[in-house]
Amino acid sequence: MKKYLKIALLIAYIALVFLPLVQVVQMSFLTTVSAASSQQPVFTWLNYYHLFTSPTLGAAFFNSITYVLLNICLTIPVALPAAYAFSRYSFIGDKHLFLAFLAFRVTPPVVLALPMFKIFSLIGLINTPFGIALAHCLFTIPVSIWILESFINAIPKQLDENAFLDGYSLPRFYYEILLPLLAPGIGVAAFFCFLFSWVEVVFARILTVTNGKPITMAIDALFGFSTDMGLVMAVIVASVIPGMVMFYFVRNHIASGFTIGGQ
Amino acid sequence: MIKKTDHSNGWILASPAILILSIVGLIPLLTVINYSFFDIFILDKRYWIGLEWYQELMQSPRFWASLGRSLLFSTCILAIQLPLGILIALAIPKRGIWVPICLMTMSVPLLIPWNVIPIIWLNYLRLDTGFLGQFLSFFGLDFDWKFNPIHTWLALILMDVWHWTSLVILLAYSSLSTIPTAYYQAAAIDRASRWQIFRYIELPKMSGILLMAILLRFMDSLMIYTEAFGINSGGPQNATLFLGIDLGEQIKAFDYGPSAARSVIYFIIILFIVWAFKTALNHQKSGGTR
Repeated sequence: MKKYLKIALLIAYIALVFLPLVQVVQMSFLTTVSAASSQQPVFTWLNYYHLFTSPTLGAAFFNSITYVLLNICLTIPVALPAAYAFSRYSFIGDKHLFLAFLAFRVTPPVVLALPMFKIFSLIGLINTPFGIALAHCLFTIPVSIWILESFINAIPKQLDENAFLDGYSLPRFYYEILLPLLAPGIGVAAFFCFLFSWVEVVFARILTVTNGKPITMAIDALFGFSTDMGLVMAVIVASVIPGMVMFYFVRNHIASGFTIGGQ
Repeated sequence: MIKKTDHSNGWILASPAILILSIVGLIPLLTVINYSFFDIFILDKRYWIGLEWYQELMQSPRFWASLGRSLLFSTCILAIQLPLGILIALAIPKRGIWVPICLMTMSVPLLIPWNVIPIIWLNYLRLDTGFLGQFLSFFGLDFDWKFNPIHTWLALILMDVWHWTSLVILLAYSSLSTIPTAYYQAAAIDRASRWQIFRYIELPKMSGILLMAILLRFMDSLMIYTEAFGINSGGPQNATLFLGIDLGEQIKAFDYGPSAARSVIYFIIILFIVWAFKTALNHQKSGGTR
C-alpha cells in the first residue's frame, strides 16, 4: 500500500513538472496565428525548419555551447587542486577561504554586472565567448570545488599515503591515480558547470553588446511586434536538449554521494 | 571522519581558483565599493560624496519594503521547496532502472534558460489557451497575475517551486543514497516507526546537505531577478518589487553611484547569511558526530 502511495506521489510530481513543458512542445508543432484572426492553429514542422535554417539561431547555439565548454575547461582544472586541498589538508585560513568561495557562489550577477562590464571592456573580453566563460567561473568554480571535495572525501586517505610511500610525486599521483578514480565526480561537476552556465542570463546579456549573442539572448530577440510563438517554443525545446544529453552521461553518478565536510 | 594533515600546500593548490575568483569576483567587488562613494555622471567625471548614497538608501522606505518582500518570498519558497523536496526524494526508489529516469525527468526545469522560464509560465497561465489558465477559468477562477498582487505572488511562487524543487530533490536524494543499508536493518530490528527512521537516521545524515540546499535556495530566491522580472516587472504597483529587480532596474538606468551603494549593501547581507550558515554547519558538525 505504502509503495503505491510513493509511486502515485512520484507520478503526480513528474506530471506537474511536465505539464508546462507539454504545452511548450505542443505549441512548437503548431502554426502561430494572431489573436484577432479566426484561423485555428494547425500542425506544422515549419517552426523546426525555421530553427535549423536560421543563421542567427545557429550562431547563437554555437556561441552558447562554446562558452559553456570553455567554462568547463576553465573550471575543472582549477577546482580540482583546490578541492583536493580542502579535502585533505587543513591550512591556516581554510575555513575562511571556503566561506569566501561560498559567498561568491551566492552573490547574484546583478551585484557585479556593472564593474564586470567595465573591467572586461578594458581587457577586450566583451562580445567574446571567453569573456562569458570567465564571468561564469564566479559560480561554477565554488560549486565544482564543493562537488569534487565530496567525491575526494569518499576516496580513502590511505590511497594517497601509499602512493606517496611508493614514491609518487603529487602531480604524478594526480594524473595516474586520482583522476581516473574521480572521473564520475568530474562528470558531475561538469554537469553542474553546464547547468549554471547554460541558463544564466545577466552576465550573458551585459557581456555581449553587439556580437557573440548566446541562445538566451536570441530567444529574447525573437520577441517583437508580432511574435512567432511557435518558433519561440521550438527554440525553447531545442535549448533543453544539450542539458538532457549532459545529464544522460552522468545519470548514474549524479546521486552517488554529495556529502559535506568529510562526514 | 577523515583526519586532515596540516599542510601549507593548501594555499598553493587553491591559488589558481583564488586567482580566477579574484578577477571575476574580488576586483569587481572592490570597484563597486569604490563607485559607491562617488556621484558619477560619466565615469571620467565624478565627485566624492562619501556615504551619501548609503544614507539615502537606508532612509528610503522603498528599499526596506523590497527587502521585506524578498525575505517573505524566500521564506515561502523554503517552506514549500524543502519539505516537498525531501518528501519526493524519500519516494524515489533506492536503486534500479527507475532512479536515473526519475531524476532525469524531474531535472528538466533546471536545464531551461532563466529568461525562458517566465515565457513558459505566462503561456501556461493564459486564461484562453494556457493549460493551467484554462483549468482555473474552468473552475470560475479569474486568475489575474497582471493586476492582482496576490495572484502575481502565487504565480511567482508556483513558478519557482516548479523550477527549483528538483535541485532540493537531487541533493536530498544523493545524501540519502549514502546511508548504509545496515542502518535500516538495525532500525527494522528495533521496530522503529517510519517517522523514527526519518528523524533519527535519515535527517541527521542529510542535515549537512540540507543546510547547503537551504543556503542555495534562500540566497537565489532572495536575489531573484531574471524570472521575477519576466513575469510582471515588479508590478502590480511594486507588489513584487524584489531586491534584485530594484537593483537591476537601477543598473539598466546607468545610475552608477546609487546602484553601487545598493550592491555593497546586498553583498553585506549575503556575507552575513553565509556566515550564519557556516556557523550553523560547524555547530551541526561538532554536535552531530555519531
